[in-house]
Amino acid sequence: MNRKQVISVLGAGLVVTACGSTSSSGGSVAAKAYAGKTLKLGAILSITGAGGVYGPQSRNGMQLAVDQINQSGGVNGAIIALTVNDDASDKAQSAQLAQKMIQEDQDLALLGPTLSNSAVAVHPLAESLRTPILAVSTTGIHIVPDCTFPKTDACKYVFRDSLGEETAIPDNIQSYAADKHPKTGVLLVANDDKFSSDGGTIVQNTVGTYGITLLKTIPFKKAEADLSPYVTQAVQLNPDVIFITSLGGIPAKIMAEARNQGWQGQFLGGNGFNTATVSKQAGANGKGAQSASAWYLGNTFTSNAGFVAAYRARYGADPDQFGAQGYAAIKVLADSASRANLSFSNVAGDRTKLRDAMEKVKIDAPMGPFQFTSTHDVHQTVWIIQMDGQGGFTLVHTIKPS
Amino acid sequence: MLNAIFIGSIYALFAVGYTLVFGVLDILNLAHSAVFMLGAAVTYTMVVNHGQPFWIACVVGIAAAALMGLVIEHVCLRPLRRRGAPPISALISTIGLALIIVAAVEQGRAGSFFSWLWVDGANSVSFPANAVPNPTWKVAGLTLEASKVAIIPVTILLMLVLGYVIRFTQVGRGLRAVAENPRAARLMGIDVDRMITLTLVISSALGGLAGILFGLAIGDISPYIGRDNVEVRGLAVIVLGGLGSIPGAVAGGYLLGGIEVLALVALGSNARAGVAFAALFLVLVIRPQGLFGARLREKV
Amino acid sequence: MDFLTQLFTDPVGFYNSHTLLIAQVGINSILAASIFVVLYSGQLSLAAPGFMAIGAYTSVVMGQRWHTPLPLSIVAGTLFAGVAGLVVGLPVLRLRGVFLAIATIGFIEALRFGVILNLPITGEGLGLSNPDADPLGGLNIVLVSVAVVVFLLWRLTKGRLGHAWAAIRQDELAALSQGINVSRYKMIAFVVSAVLAGFAGALESHLNFFVDPNEYGVPRTVQVLTFAVLGGTGNIFGPVVGALFITTLPEIIRQVANYRDIVSGAILIAVIVFRPQGIVGRGGLAILRPAWWPRVRTRAPAPG
Repeated sequence: MNRKQVISVLGAGLVVTACGSTSSSGGSVAAKAYAGKTLKLGAILSITGAGGVYGPQSRNGMQLAVDQINQSGGVNGAIIALTVNDDASDKAQSAQLAQKMIQEDQDLALLGPTLSNSAVAVHPLAESLRTPILAVSTTGIHIVPDCTFPKTDACKYVFRDSLGEETAIPDNIQSYAADKHPKTGVLLVANDDKFSSDGGTIVQNTVGTYGITLLKTIPFKKAEADLSPYVTQAVQLNPDVIFITSLGGIPAKIMAEARNQGWQGQFLGGNGFNTATVSKQAGANGKGAQSASAWYLGNTFTSNAGFVAAYRARYGADPDQFGAQGYAAIKVLADSASRANLSFSNVAGDRTKLRDAMEKVKIDAPMGPFQFTSTHDVHQTVWIIQMDGQGGFTLVHTIKPS
Repeated sequence: MLNAIFIGSIYALFAVGYTLVFGVLDILNLAHSAVFMLGAAVTYTMVVNHGQPFWIACVVGIAAAALMGLVIEHVCLRPLRRRGAPPISALISTIGLALIIVAAVEQGRAGSFFSWLWVDGANSVSFPANAVPNPTWKVAGLTLEASKVAIIPVTILLMLVLGYVIRFTQVGRGLRAVAENPRAARLMGIDVDRMITLTLVISSALGGLAGILFGLAIGDISPYIGRDNVEVRGLAVIVLGGLGSIPGAVAGGYLLGGIEVLALVALGSNARAGVAFAALFLVLVIRPQGLFGARLREKV
Repeated sequence: MDFLTQLFTDPVGFYNSHTLLIAQVGINSILAASIFVVLYSGQLSLAAPGFMAIGAYTSVVMGQRWHTPLPLSIVAGTLFAGVAGLVVGLPVLRLRGVFLAIATIGFIEALRFGVILNLPITGEGLGLSNPDADPLGGLNIVLVSVAVVVFLLWRLTKGRLGHAWAAIRQDELAALSQGINVSRYKMIAFVVSAVLAGFAGALESHLNFFVDPNEYGVPRTVQVLTFAVLGGTGNIFGPVVGALFITTLPEIIRQVANYRDIVSGAILIAVIVFRPQGIVGRGGLAILRPAWWPRVRTRAPAPG
């Protein structure tokens, strides 16, 4: 495999498979244009603290992509130097790191942060310092489309390669409504973090469109030890569907409790369902629980097969959605950098050039053909998946981007 | 209402350990919630990753918690006592130890340095259904799980044993002497350091057991269960019951469990914790010695 | 570049690229000052995050809803926190020691769970976004504020008020018998502490784009208490040094990566074991003072 040539072809504006390609055409001038230079990228991830569930996965995916690119000749000859900094799941540390990486380390672009709560602090900061930032795992509303800083201007430097709940949840509800025509639903929503609460709002706004009556919305707090009173309330209404928007182990706890109380209906959820950990924890109780995912382990894109094989070989485990998105983020930045005609002497100018190039990204990522929408959000295939009752997922539908 | 009793039992077990240390040492041991988590985490790891039967795993989990009691005494408390530090210093050293315990478990991942302790990182897990015998019965429309029902006799039995030890045995008399006045106790020939060590070991073992029961009944084991679920509530419980009073802590545990469930039913989720803390505030303002405390001692 | 290396070799570059960190040290110093005032008067009050939340929410709500100018919003937030301090102080100040501590924890958690999470105006569990925040431009205001607060408290503790507080801390009954109006002086300390916390909260809310209710809970109060106990409570400099130490520690030990919390825990234990009276022990910066420096009379040990 010859990376230099792949990137030179991309540089010419053609769409090729970015990963696993075996292009064999000869070298070109562009391939060496950045020879001897270093592309400095900085990632802010939650490696420790509550976000430590996701951060390490993103980091693994990024590091894999960086090593693959560097080993096959870099980006037009330039080596990628990626620094991953841990924000300890703390918003203040996240913002402080962003400032340091932009102003002191002079990183060309940032990736992250892992958590939506940190993103609302970091993204406006990166915007005001005119540095491209690519979110790799945040799914809350307004994380990308209408960045509020500065007020009169839309966010120019903020991008996201993770699938927002405002796409994932409606796609999932639409898909299930078309299959099974449910009439009634109850929503269980953790209302003390942005991700879960946004998901709840989206469910409330969507169900009516597909003829589902929401009998009740039952809010709870993530930190509450015992969720059974809430589940009892939901089960007593005997709905066709229970919607769960929450993170971590909570969806699995709710499923176990509801099945225990004898309820047999359908669970629908958002990104919170999409990790193997949740599926494993839910076990047989989670069988059939359905959600929309940005990525699916067994998806048939050639770029995905290469990614999964390389990830397994290096880390000895299956990647998850966050690994795939981290990997894709590095590919997006590498592709953009190869087309941006960077100077490597004027960081501010290079950042703007990179931003412009990112808007025109068109690559094959593990989640399929990838590009940004006009609001810098992700434009990709969505996978409707169900838990298989044994810690994995099965594919139900594939929704191609419109 | 049954939920109130289950959760109240866990609060009570946790708070008894908390209040025991406070009663003897006048110190709030902020590592207690980390020990609670450690008990649950070690037991889970023994069952799932080392394939041990549940009861052996429990013994190991409680032993790990008790061992941590020794560490608290030798690392955080004894050096401070030797230097005549004010009791408030112990807050910092126990916070430091709590940070270390939580971080060690959080960093436990496949292939990491702490993988022998824990492999699920920051994830929340629960005991696999087949590893722990947990029959359920349906009685009058209620679903009863053995894991939840067993909590009540376990709690009561332990409290009775503890009460007996403290009231009627040689060791108990020593403990009470140290609690009243360490200097006088030393003059009477009591090995004060040994008594304090014993207090921490008992307290931590109870904390670890509370953690295991929590993991069993609530189905949530993560590095953060101590901090998020019992740390502040434990404080509320021992104050409701009267600081340093063991029967008070037990009663306070059930009372808090009851208040929380009532608030939830009457007012919904948001109000649940708010009502519990408002109750705490009112109890203190109206009756500072706690609902069940007889004497009022000023202690920090 | 390594954090400490840069601090010493390139202080200007360090300052320019760490303004957010420095501003956070400043905010935390004001919080440390807030808890110092109550500890100095012998009251273990842990209410600071509650008053912070009041200051932060008041100022952001005023700025966003009624477009009041920034200084007015901050002053209003600060004053409102002071009024709240008066109201909360009336019932709780007759409590002592750990009872006061736990009552104030009850106050902050009841405020957070019972009030903030249930009012539409506070954004409930989601918090409020504050697009007018200026994270990079606010540093000078913060630094000036810290200087003013530290100077004022240093003067106050040397004056009549300070002597009354110290007397109450050492022995409340004796202070009463000397004719000191104990409850009045305690109330003054409590309200001053609330005002400082409210001010810190209002300032902080304009350095961040987002006010998050989860930041005003017990972990924050434990952190603020750590500033004071670790730094030492004999004079105002102790808590400020504690705030500086705790806030910069994660950056200083960033090299140890995944094991940062383990190392910070070990450092906390080591510092408190070797300096049980705090880094700035009795009578000032004891470790930094050369042997020939004239000794001031030693103060009584910190309240405990």
